[in-house]
Amino acid sequence: MSSPVLSPTTGEPVSVVGRRNRIGLIFLIVVDFSGTMALIVSYCYLWSLNVNNGWAPNTPSLNSNNDVKGRSPLPWADDWPFWAILGLTVLATVILWLGIRSLRSGNRGGLVAASFVALLVTLVTIAMQWWQMATFPFGVENGAYASAVFLLTGSNMFNLLISAFILFGIVNRSREGLIATDNPWQARLAGYWMVWICAAILLGALCTTFLKESSNPTPENFGNFSLFNPDKPTPTPSPSPSASPSASPSPSAS
Amino acid sequence: MSTATATIYSVDVPQPKQHGKPGGIMRRLNFFTGLAGGVILAAVFGFLMNIQFASGAQTADFASASAGPTFWAIMVGWVLGFMGGMGAFVGPIRWVMGRDLTHADAEFMAGKDQGKFRYWRFTTDHKVVGIQYLIMAMVILGFGGLLAMLIRTELGVTWAEVFNPDFYNSLVGTHGIAMIIAMIIVVSGPVGNFIIPLMCGARDMAFPRLNALSIWLLVCAVPPLILSLLVGGIRDGWSVYQPLNSQAGPGMIGYQTTIIVFAVSTAIASVNIMTTILTMRAKGMTWSRTPISIYGVFAAAAMGLYAFPFYQYSQILSMTDRLINTSFFDPVEGGSVWLYENLFWLLGHPEVYVILIPSTAIILELIPVFMRKPLFSYYMAIAGIVGVVGLSGLVWAHHMYMTGWAPQANYPFMLSTEMISIPVGFLVLVIIGTMWRGTFWSRLPMMAVFAVVFNKMIGGVTGIYLSDVPADQYFHGSMFVTAHFHYMLMGVALFGAMGGVAYYFPKWTGRYLDERMGSIGFWLAFIGFQITFGSMFVAGLQGQPRRVLQFDNLFNISNWISTIGAYTIGIAMLIFLGAIISSWRHGEMAPSNPWQAQTLDWQTATPVPLDNFPVLPVVKGLPYDYGVPDPLAPEKVEARLREEYEKAGTP
Repeated sequence: MSSPVLSPTTGEPVSVVGRRNRIGLIFLIVVDFSGTMALIVSYCYLWSLNVNNGWAPNTPSLNSNNDVKGRSPLPWADDWPFWAILGLTVLATVILWLGIRSLRSGNRGGLVAASFVALLVTLVTIAMQWWQMATFPFGVENGAYASAVFLLTGSNMFNLLISAFILFGIVNRSREGLIATDNPWQARLAGYWMVWICAAILLGALCTTFLKESSNPTPENFGNFSLFNPDKPTPTPSPSPSASPSASPSPSAS
Repeated sequence: MSTATATIYSVDVPQPKQHGKPGGIMRRLNFFTGLAGGVILAAVFGFLMNIQFASGAQTADFASASAGPTFWAIMVGWVLGFMGGMGAFVGPIRWVMGRDLTHADAEFMAGKDQGKFRYWRFTTDHKVVGIQYLIMAMVILGFGGLLAMLIRTELGVTWAEVFNPDFYNSLVGTHGIAMIIAMIIVVSGPVGNFIIPLMCGARDMAFPRLNALSIWLLVCAVPPLILSLLVGGIRDGWSVYQPLNSQAGPGMIGYQTTIIVFAVSTAIASVNIMTTILTMRAKGMTWSRTPISIYGVFAAAAMGLYAFPFYQYSQILSMTDRLINTSFFDPVEGGSVWLYENLFWLLGHPEVYVILIPSTAIILELIPVFMRKPLFSYYMAIAGIVGVVGLSGLVWAHHMYMTGWAPQANYPFMLSTEMISIPVGFLVLVIIGTMWRGTFWSRLPMMAVFAVVFNKMIGGVTGIYLSDVPADQYFHGSMFVTAHFHYMLMGVALFGAMGGVAYYFPKWTGRYLDERMGSIGFWLAFIGFQITFGSMFVAGLQGQPRRVLQFDNLFNISNWISTIGAYTIGIAMLIFLGAIISSWRHGEMAPSNPWQAQTLDWQTATPVPLDNFPVLPVVKGLPYDYGVPDPLAPEKVEARLREEYEKAGTP
């Protein structure tokens, strides 16, 4: 039985360090998941409320006091780029895992090639993400949907940039032999990260595809502060049973 | 690959190629290069943004909202420049380039043979990071405390207006967030980083470089908060609700930068602490033999892990609303201010337990040592901690009873909030149960136990009132609330932390904390605390609103008393700080285990060697096995001892 590969800094077997890193990565993914959920919750929350009928992309025209006078609707974002970006990310992930599999069977060159291709696919995905953000048929200021979509795609972009950085490292390190059959941990951890990125992009794509028109088409019931609408008749207050007649203000009192 | 090897614990380990001297470029980087990098890059970014947004930014009036983009660019420049100058990016770049650290590099990074200057570097040794956290906590506490004195001065001088109302509001908001940050790190930082790896029997944290990253991100997060006072400040309390958040001057960008950077720091620290505890506990340290403070710090890290990103995103979305006109919180464009409140309090309440649980766990750690008794119902303590973690994510909306958000949800949240008093009650019961019918070793750390129990009772009972929807309709927004949360956050966390400092001081410094001077500071602070916040309860019951500069004469006496109490706390804290500094410099030398404690942190030498344990320890017993098997039945023990004496022929 061959002796285990040892970490050059601590002298521990790399499998021990690798398992520790895997736990750490899972916790980091929990942090990123929590952040992604903050965006998803924001998206769903604003979608469900449709405050002041301002969810759908639109250009509002305002009165001088910022009251909305009217809204000109703008198109929704196309669905296919979200799914295309997801598809490309899944493709990069699958390619990376194929490389990891070939490394397991002793072919380090397979990982070098696979991680390089995965890096190229990720770079294409980043370019596509940039293109999508640059060509939305609305601006970031055109309503709550526009804001939420821009932030979701921005979050995707951030995650993809990190992925590209990691993949670049994997290409370089596997080429130099720092990732090898007896020390595959870093490549595997990169694979876990890529799987999470796919899940994060999927969550965003599900939202943007299936939660477009707000479920609250009559926002005056909730969102436009109709309780404070001066045009509505004020409900007549019922007399308090505890108020004594002497305490009531006299109509003739000035 | 090079064939060079290094001998690590008698094993020859192949090493990657060494590039230059051990440490590489890290030899040249330190706090001062970070400072220079931060200032220079902030100036450059600010200048470039000034050119880009000439109409909005070319104004000398930084308090004007139009200066926002410039101030934002300055903040970004500061963060990138400072962290770059510290060497935070060297590790990732080396990793990508395939230039792995050698053992010699790692030892340099850990601060080997660098004397006190290692505290100014991106040092990875967990003991250095622990001390850095302790110093940072004291610095931030000092800053927040100074602001508290100014606030109390304003409220105490009822016959005149000392500060401009806007500046007063800024003082309140900045004091709030500074103290929250300080309280979050005051136990989890020094204990979580210095003590927990020792207590686990580990040689370092799981991720030493992330450890250094977390402390220096914290250092980086503080100047934007201080700077924000100069550019309009945070005038809306530490929670900075929308829409006030969006309407505030660029000082708000300083706050947002602080929170975003601090949240990253906390997330990294949480990942590190949790991984260390899960994977690096000594052989034999099963979950039923794990010291309770490890559970406490783990719980705090777990809550921070899921909760902090929500807070962080509440500020990221606020920043985009301000800078690029998104409309998450603008109702005209379909946004909702309640979204902000929900995101904010999704952290905001778990954060209370992030502060309280480690402090309570330290108290639980102290009692068996100073009473020489096992911890009463160890499993109940664990159940209490787990219960708090489980419920902490289900109580956030009790801060929003009076906002009008989902009134139907008020009663479920009232129920969940009142339910959380059950696991908190478990912890109090464990404290009382352990002390029951015991005698104690009357040292300063043990004094903190009594102070914390007293404060926790008052804070806990008043918290039940506030969790109750009908009662909260009256108390909400009053000084009663302010007094309540000070009893919990300061009364429990800070006094617990003072006990923790007194307890761990010999391990940190090799010297005892001056018992006399420390006790004077501690008890004076306790008395001042009761005066300040007891009187504040009265003002709150009378109806004085919080965060308001001017108030009716009815509240004068309460405020005078509170101000006297606050100054007393200030003096007491200076005395306690004096005890720390003088003891650190020339206090009485302490042996490596001065309290005869049984946890692993006390079983290694003091000063703790670089690798903590020459041989990794193996745990064979319970952490609190002080020889009394049943603390509830001392008579039985006495009878058994008498029996043994009689058998041995002892009269």
